[in-house]
Amino acid sequence: MELLEYQAKELFRQMGIPVLPSQRIRQLQDIKQLTIPYPVVLKSQVYTGGRGKAGGIKFVENTIDAVAAAQMIFHLPIMGKYPQVLLAEAKYDADREFYLAVVLDSSERRPVLLGSQQGGIEIESQFDRLYQVIVDQEFSPYYARRLAIGMGLKGSLIQSVSAIVEKMYRLFATCDLDLVEINPLAVSPSGELMALDGKVTANDTALGRQALLSEFTHLLLLQGRAAESQTSAVARVDLSGNIGVLCNGAGLTMATLDLLYKAKGRPGAFVDVGGEYRQNCPTSTFESRIQEGLDLLLDAPEIRVILVNLLGSRLSCLQMAEIIAAHVQLRGKYRSLPPIVVRLVGEEFSEAQAVLKAIDLAATDYLDTAITQTLSLLPAKSA
Amino acid sequence: MNFTAQSKILIQGISEPLGTTYAPLMQAYGTQIVAGVSPGDGGKTIAPCYGAPRRGKPIANIPIFDLVEQAIAQVGRIDTSVIFVPPYEVMDAALEAIAAQIRQIIIITEGVPPLDMVRVLRKAEATETLVVGSNCPGIIVPGQLLLGIHPPEFYSPGKVGLISRSGTLTYEVALELTRAGLGQSIAIGIGGDRILGSSFQQWLQILEEDEQTEAIVLVGEIGGDSEEGAARYIAEVIDKPVVAYLAGYSAPKGQFHGHAGAIVASRVAGLGADIGSTQSKLEAFKLAQIPVADRPAQIPALVKKALEQV
Repeated sequence: MELLEYQAKELFRQMGIPVLPSQRIRQLQDIKQLTIPYPVVLKSQVYTGGRGKAGGIKFVENTIDAVAAAQMIFHLPIMGKYPQVLLAEAKYDADREFYLAVVLDSSERRPVLLGSQQGGIEIESQFDRLYQVIVDQEFSPYYARRLAIGMGLKGSLIQSVSAIVEKMYRLFATCDLDLVEINPLAVSPSGELMALDGKVTANDTALGRQALLSEFTHLLLLQGRAAESQTSAVARVDLSGNIGVLCNGAGLTMATLDLLYKAKGRPGAFVDVGGEYRQNCPTSTFESRIQEGLDLLLDAPEIRVILVNLLGSRLSCLQMAEIIAAHVQLRGKYRSLPPIVVRLVGEEFSEAQAVLKAIDLAATDYLDTAITQTLSLLPAKSA
Repeated sequence: MNFTAQSKILIQGISEPLGTTYAPLMQAYGTQIVAGVSPGDGGKTIAPCYGAPRRGKPIANIPIFDLVEQAIAQVGRIDTSVIFVPPYEVMDAALEAIAAQIRQIIIITEGVPPLDMVRVLRKAEATETLVVGSNCPGIIVPGQLLLGIHPPEFYSPGKVGLISRSGTLTYEVALELTRAGLGQSIAIGIGGDRILGSSFQQWLQILEEDEQTEAIVLVGEIGGDSEEGAARYIAEVIDKPVVAYLAGYSAPKGQFHGHAGAIVASRVAGLGADIGSTQSKLEAFKLAQIPVADRPAQIPALVKKALEQV
């Protein structure tokens, strides 16, 4: 889960990483309560990058300008998102701008420190010039000094920059982060350091034990970002076609979608009901997730046929067929349902087939057959 | 690697929902589950599967202990521990197993915080402990033992080693192989969490040396760079024939976060924006001259062809 800049900076402040005095602007009236002396920078608080280029950052000299700029920023979508909050911050004159990050690297299976003397908005084009230090053993400040020296720093900057890296690492480890980034880290002519912008991504699996982050996550839930940050029991992903897909497991879901596309089908929505037991949602049963998943697909617009592909659960084929049949009959009482193809493998398959056939559902234990059947059931003109 | 019908197996978290369900199933398959650990439940037992096929002698109840060291004191040396404890308890369970000299650990639990895994792996590397997972279906050696949650009925004994990042998709591929008369020497799900105990490379190396394995099937997914790394490794080091399959050609971006394990590093600053895409993986396989199956049902034919060319 990604945090907003002001939230990241709040964490920086708590860790002792230098940040500028700032205030949150939730509505235009808040501008009048600004205690930071002008000139001030107003920054749109959105989750996507590229704010500056999109016009979401404005320098203002007085209250009148500030109100106008704030009004503009509140109404400026950045990658389709409007800010709920702006951050007003003192303006800072940087002599140089560095880049610093601590990130979890899946290939190295370790946290990695990244740094460059060329920070700022052009960092993406110069990624290969970033210096890297893998934190292979228990962290100790020498890893941070290695980074500072690797970045080519000299003199007192070695100690001051590595002290910030050390704090970033502490934050990373304490809060179970996937990423903490400072870009740019401003260096004043006198060698003073200031984190002008920051990015923090928390690891979703660890949110449950992060009291420090809970105030931010609570806010996100209120803003309806729950679906993006928290895994709910079952979620539907909408695509642009007309075939609904219900599977268990991400790999199998992807493979099933691939097969449909390769056969010139157009999946319109899919649901991954996961394994029998979900640690993050212990109250939901496999049965209830199959039912919820079917409901989500039946309620999706434009779906003309549904393919159910369930493999390797502890339920027998017959048990799964009975769950599906009962639910389809229930939902089919008051409305007509799209045709459904069910693919199951394992014990009691022929009994399962009989149960499904009795309510006109096609059943097969071969994936390729299921794909062909699904496509054959599409109305001719939409196929 | 030491995974045989004689291996002595411990289940940590045996009183958890998955542990209670799968320990008797693993036992029914012939796996020697000698003990379970679940703090607070020491002294209790878990009964065998009702109606489980009994190979000659009756299956015993599984004794439960509060500590791993108590289990070892009672039942003797343990070869492998299978961990089913909740995510935030995984690190502790794994460290406890390593401290008790257990050198093979399989973590079935999903959603273990990555930095917990990093700590486990530092310890595992220092002690040469093999860690599989987290968030994986475990290992099955068909006809010998089951360490995890694979559905055994999809597998049959044979010569194909199967390595995969997935759960249910692994079962699909095993099923295709079994239906085509190609049994498996072993199947490993390396897991879907961000930080994994063992990589494709490690398992490729193990299977290259494994006498039972004559061909290898590698099942990959979009996201991350493990397929690219595996492809390079195969080209350099692996002599046995390898066939690959890849899922996620059509996956909408960002929908399979947890599983696809996209490297944050690539998001940080556009580190090879292309890493993790199907295109990048297919090119890596092509460069390494590894045949890639178009769909699961095509895998057996490619394996047979590869075996004929050896």
